[in-house]
Amino acid sequence: MGFATRDILNHRQRSPAHEMTQRADEPSDEQLMTNLDGPGVEVALSKLYDRYSRTVFGVGLRILGDRSMAEELVQEVFLKVWRSSGTFDPSRGGFSSWLYRVTRSVALDLYRKRARRVRPVSDGQLHIAAERDPSAGPQEVVDESWLSWRVSRALEVLDAPHREVIDLAYFGGLSQREISERTGVPLGTVKTRTASAYKSLRKELAVQGTSREALR
Amino acid sequence: MKFAEVHPNLAAFVLGCLEAEEAAEVRHHLDSCPGCQSELEELRKVNRALGAAPPPAAPPAYLKGEILSCVRAEQLPSSNKVVAADGSSPLEEHGRSHRTYRFNRFKEFRIVLPSVAAAALVAVIALGVFFGFLREETPVATIQLIPTPQEAAGLDGYWGVAEIRPQPAGNQQVELKLNNFEEPKPNGYYEMWFVSGEKRISAGSFTSVGKGETRVLLNAPPEASDYHTLLITEEHVDKRPASSREVALKGDLP
Repeated sequence: MGFATRDILNHRQRSPAHEMTQRADEPSDEQLMTNLDGPGVEVALSKLYDRYSRTVFGVGLRILGDRSMAEELVQEVFLKVWRSSGTFDPSRGGFSSWLYRVTRSVALDLYRKRARRVRPVSDGQLHIAAERDPSAGPQEVVDESWLSWRVSRALEVLDAPHREVIDLAYFGGLSQREISERTGVPLGTVKTRTASAYKSLRKELAVQGTSREALR
Repeated sequence: MKFAEVHPNLAAFVLGCLEAEEAAEVRHHLDSCPGCQSELEELRKVNRALGAAPPPAAPPAYLKGEILSCVRAEQLPSSNKVVAADGSSPLEEHGRSHRTYRFNRFKEFRIVLPSVAAAALVAVIALGVFFGFLREETPVATIQLIPTPQEAAGLDGYWGVAEIRPQPAGNQQVELKLNNFEEPKPNGYYEMWFVSGEKRISAGSFTSVGKGETRVLLNAPPEASDYHTLLITEEHVDKRPASSREVALKGDLP
């Protein structure tokens, strides 16, 4: 899938956010949004960042195809979340959908900005910063991102051990035996986690309504 | 059929992470188990959805700190959060830029630079009037700025010169004229240096308009008159203010 297993493991080790699936006793996203307008702004924004930054970054990479622009996207999106928290209305939809719209809007702006940087070179070809299909316009690229967002959210709510087996098997291309050797987890446990992770993932995707349009 | 009743290796089979013998065993089981065949189709849908997943990557660790620093900085004078009275979409309100702190620093700089340059120009003209130097000074040197091979690959219709005019106080005024010189990267800017061996003196920073002509006035202290190479490097606002080695243009004084 193009992602080195070492990178996947490194990301997991470096990213405490990845271990932070939301516990039942933690405030909901919507509660945190109300805290962005008070003294607890940094704690609230920090928690939202931990929950969603990987998704914003990952979807940004898919849309923009460029790591530095995806980083810029993350930064702009979370500042916009803070600055625009007063406009978030939970009765119109959940935080995740709202955040997706913010992300899409900012990503489109960045995409267009990058497009303006596309310039001809001597051989008549177009030079583009990122390796994307140049035939795909911004709207086409962004349209794909809603599915990407929801799958990312489904993966993010898996607990860390289950997410790990999916990452290593699907993205890393490792067999269960190799996962066991790499992580030190007994083979039987890896097998149980694989089955359980797929069960949870399937359930989560169904909850997000992904099944009808994407699981065909 | 309940999940617990299906073959325990079915998910791993779909994921393709079974050993060859195990996969063969699952295939054999599927031949005679309609329940698992049905379950297999459902699991394959999950697998297809995973194809839309973004890569398992995380933003750099420092980014969160930068965002929180920006929030802290913006909170200091007064809260400038936008609360739409009409409850309009956050995507449409906010006409102003949402540039981030590190980009803002440069953006502000880009706004300030032309003002500073304009003010400097006004001051020079005023001094010129005072000293009877109203006419434009002829440059003592015009240096052609050559792009590095890496930079040249992306330039079309580029040309660039630096005109140097010593000022009454000894400062070296440099007027840059760059045509079709690409804009710096989003978190970057250009800086001009007078170079002699390993020593460098900065003449100031600037940005470029990209297509078309960019004209910038820069200044270096009198000591720069002994430095006979000009470099224009691309710098990054989020790094320490030191010369980078990303040379974009180079020119040699006669």
